Amino acid sequence: MTTLSSTPEVPLRSSLDSLPGVDSEEQRASDVSLDRVKRKRVLKKNTRLRIARYTAILVFLGAWQLTAVFLAPVFLSTPIRAIVAFYDLMANGTIERAVGVSLFILAAGIVCAGFFGMALGTIMGRTQTLERALDPLVSFGNATPSIALLPLMVIWFGQGKLAAVVFIFIIGFWQMVVNTLAGMRVVRLGYRDVGTSFGMTKWEQTFRIYLPATQPFIFAGARIALAQCIVGMILAEQELGQGGLGDIVNSYGTYFQTDNLIAAIGATCMLALLLFASLRLLQRRKFPWIQATSASSRSSR
Amino acid sequence: MTSSFEASAGLGTSPATYGSTNAFEPPVLKVRGINKVFSGQERDVVALESVDLDVAKGEFISLVGPSGCGKTTLLRIIDGLDFADSGTVELEGKRLDGVSQDMAYVFQDINLLPWRSVRGNVEIGLEARGVAKAERQRIAREFLEMVGLKDVMDVPPYTLSGGMQQRVGVARALAVRPKVLLMDEPFGQLDNFTREALQAEVAALWSQLGITIVFVTHDVDEAIFLSDRIVVMHRNPGQVVEILDVHLKRPRTQAEFRAEPETIELRSKITALLRSQEGGL
Repeated sequence: MTTLSSTPEVPLRSSLDSLPGVDSEEQRASDVSLDRVKRKRVLKKNTRLRIARYTAILVFLGAWQLTAVFLAPVFLSTPIRAIVAFYDLMANGTIERAVGVSLFILAAGIVCAGFFGMALGTIMGRTQTLERALDPLVSFGNATPSIALLPLMVIWFGQGKLAAVVFIFIIGFWQMVVNTLAGMRVVRLGYRDVGTSFGMTKWEQTFRIYLPATQPFIFAGARIALAQCIVGMILAEQELGQGGLGDIVNSYGTYFQTDNLIAAIGATCMLALLLFASLRLLQRRKFPWIQATSASSRSSR
Repeated sequence: MTSSFEASAGLGTSPATYGSTNAFEPPVLKVRGINKVFSGQERDVVALESVDLDVAKGEFISLVGPSGCGKTTLLRIIDGLDFADSGTVELEGKRLDGVSQDMAYVFQDINLLPWRSVRGNVEIGLEARGVAKAERQRIAREFLEMVGLKDVMDVPPYTLSGGMQQRVGVARALAVRPKVLLMDEPFGQLDNFTREALQAEVAALWSQLGITIVFVTHDVDEAIFLSDRIVVMHRNPGQVVEILDVHLKRPRTQAEFRAEPETIELRSKITALLRSQEGGL
């Protein structure tokens, strides 16, 4: 019982226990045993979930490793060979260089897409004439599978990084326009009233009311745009070279270096996970209100 | 339209159509011939029909009526948030076209901006008036202190209770030093204890600051407790039925005012006026 009272999970119980004569002995005894049962149950559940998670990963890796029995390594490699290859590629700097190139192309394209997409979405959302005028074009642009535009980019900008950056920009741009505009259209009347009532000018309202209120839509758009732009990045690099992740994936595939190929795909996957996590972290740190007010539509409770 | 009720007007009723309390000083707010129709798919709703109202300087006036009587619409039209089909609003003799910087609005839904801190919310009206940053912060602090929220200046508004949020709403409106404060059922969503506490606070702020307040409510006791005059409204069409004076001496206390003979008389009179409309739907 003393060990139970000192655990952080039962602070109330421990403070009661320190008071003499609060409960009868048997009452306390039964409470303690109840606690113990509950705690055991929670612990058991957590352990079970953790075991399930690691088991799934181990089974996957084990099954993959076992394919070596009947598959030549050139088809699928194995986890052990891939990890060794990853380590070697890191040691000689290949992965770092590729990630650097890819990240530069991706960042340049997506930052421009975010800025200009938000700008156009905002202007359209606040100017009825422009919204009417550009709405069909935006729908058209957003509906076009941007992947199909890569050859055009090559014609315009040549076989270089610029074509890749513009390509990624176009992919992300439409998504940001569409989401910003959608957010602008549903800004709560109550927030708009605040701007109107205090006599804000139209552009004061845009920057102090409309744009902040649209942040949840902008972040949702950014997540989708990021996913699409990563696909676009790999595709553009496979076509255009330049030494990025898509480029090395392509060449390892061409030369049947399957171990290196799997290692490079793994690096791409990790880069993507890292970028999504950064976006989540940015939202949680800088815009905590999005999470805090999304559970209930109203800020009062 | 008011004639049928004037016959029964016994207690402190202003028989004059506009009912200004002071015949010698011009009203700070002058509302004339406001008409507003909301056209619906099935039928049109006459939200307001030829509404006239005078509000004296420094007065606390309440608009009382059933939901749908247009009292909120009238308040929004006065502030410039909505436009009337016809009619005029004058502030200190100047006809208003749109929003006036001399009025501020306290919303039923409070409408604090969740992306700003409590202090940032109070500063927003000052930003629109071009007040410099240091001065804004000083004023925001002053008014938050006035409503007892100095300690939570830097937290986000959604972490506060409903009563505290509306205190911020009041501070935000007062911070721009309006000549007329418009309050739209500000305490409708709060529990009884919080509501009574805030009513007393608003009464104290009103007498301390000497501003004019137009207050919308459907709570009869709230109107009696706070007001110098009570405007009783009718729905469909939304019209002013009667304007009643409240002579209870100030400061009023929640504990005492309910038992005053005048309160009881006013309450039964207003309730009767509101009840008489029930058949008219």
